[in-house]
Amino acid sequence: MARVLVVDDAAFMRKMLGDVLSKAGHEVIGEGTNGNDAVERFQELRPDIMTLDITMPEKDGLTALREILTLEPAAKVVMCSALGQESKVLEAIKAGAKDFVVKPFQPDRVIDAIGKALA
Amino acid sequence: MTPEEALTRLGESTGDALLDALRTFCGDAVEHGAPVVVPQGEPPLAEIPVPAVIVNVSYVDGVTGGNIFAMTRHGVQRLAAAMMGLGADEAGDGDELSELELSAAGEAMNQMMAAAAGATSALLGDQIEIGPPETRFFESPDQTADAYELTPHVVSVPFTVLDEPCRLVLLVPNAFIVKMSRALSDLEAEAAAGGIRTGGGVPGASLRRVPVRVWAELGRSHMPVGRAVSLQPGAVVDLDAAPDDPVQLYVNGRRFGSGRLLLIDNEWAVRVDEVLPSTAPTTSTRGGID
Repeated sequence: MARVLVVDDAAFMRKMLGDVLSKAGHEVIGEGTNGNDAVERFQELRPDIMTLDITMPEKDGLTALREILTLEPAAKVVMCSALGQESKVLEAIKAGAKDFVVKPFQPDRVIDAIGKALA
Repeated sequence: MTPEEALTRLGESTGDALLDALRTFCGDAVEHGAPVVVPQGEPPLAEIPVPAVIVNVSYVDGVTGGNIFAMTRHGVQRLAAAMMGLGADEAGDGDELSELELSAAGEAMNQMMAAAAGATSALLGDQIEIGPPETRFFESPDQTADAYELTPHVVSVPFTVLDEPCRLVLLVPNAFIVKMSRALSDLEAEAAAGGIRTGGGVPGASLRRVPVRVWAELGRSHMPVGRAVSLQPGAVVDLDAAPDDPVQLYVNGRRFGSGRLLLIDNEWAVRVDEVLPSTAPTTSTRGGID
């Protein structure tokens, strides 16, 4: 089971993701609400894996992803996107994200993406 | 394509995209009415239900403009419950909304507008990006008067979500509507030229007025290009059809059926005998080397 950092500007999404991950036996070790948080919390907590929303205030998920991968090229990041953001998802995968889940997500899909990224 | 037609089309396609996104949370308990172009000078948020939770998602790249979704307090409570997989009877009913309920409303709008931006991107041929949602609570219509930057065009679309009245209001700058009008005109011209592009959220009804070329083909022949370019007046070219074979009918280069030649009032006409399924059109090679 993994130590997971969850980053999403919506408290609702952080709670939903946290519940799904906890039920699957993972440990949510921290949360972030924007891209700056994502980078800072990643450096501070060094999670096994993190989920990262794309559309966030101050710094978006794609910019944060690139900064995190510069800091730690082996970082495991699963992007969260809404329908209609396919081009951003593609950019994220090209940049080095391990996988993505589309909101509204299915719990099984989240667990599957986390499991594959950790494998 | 007039600005009003383009605005109505934008209201329809955005409303449909929001409807699809809302159905993932609410099933069939959501619907929207016809878009209304708000006359210039009228307050854009006059029709919203108050007290209201208003979520605004702006476009940040590709085009500019605001997208406002106004919900009643109970609407937010019911939507949040639905997003958590709870029934309507398990929704909160207090006068105060929790942070989680407000966040759910913002997240729903984020997902709805991402879907709408995707549909508009496909239509315009440009990638449109949205910003994060901004959620505010208004007790009275007066409070909404100066809350958002006004734009030259406003489209208002009524919604019912889980039995609660809601409203989508699109704040549309001139540049957006110029871009939209041009894209829709290009789409119709493309359809007229025979290359009907699918997708993009454009209703089929809008294409029904587009004029198209219809022709009948008697038969074909194959020959080397060298012989074709050396044909002279008086030459006879054999076609592959017998006198009583049906003629093939084409619409803008796509074969759509066959029929029989008739003479009516000394003019040729075709009686249609067969119409092909619309899913498998055959393109004419007319005008090319065959």
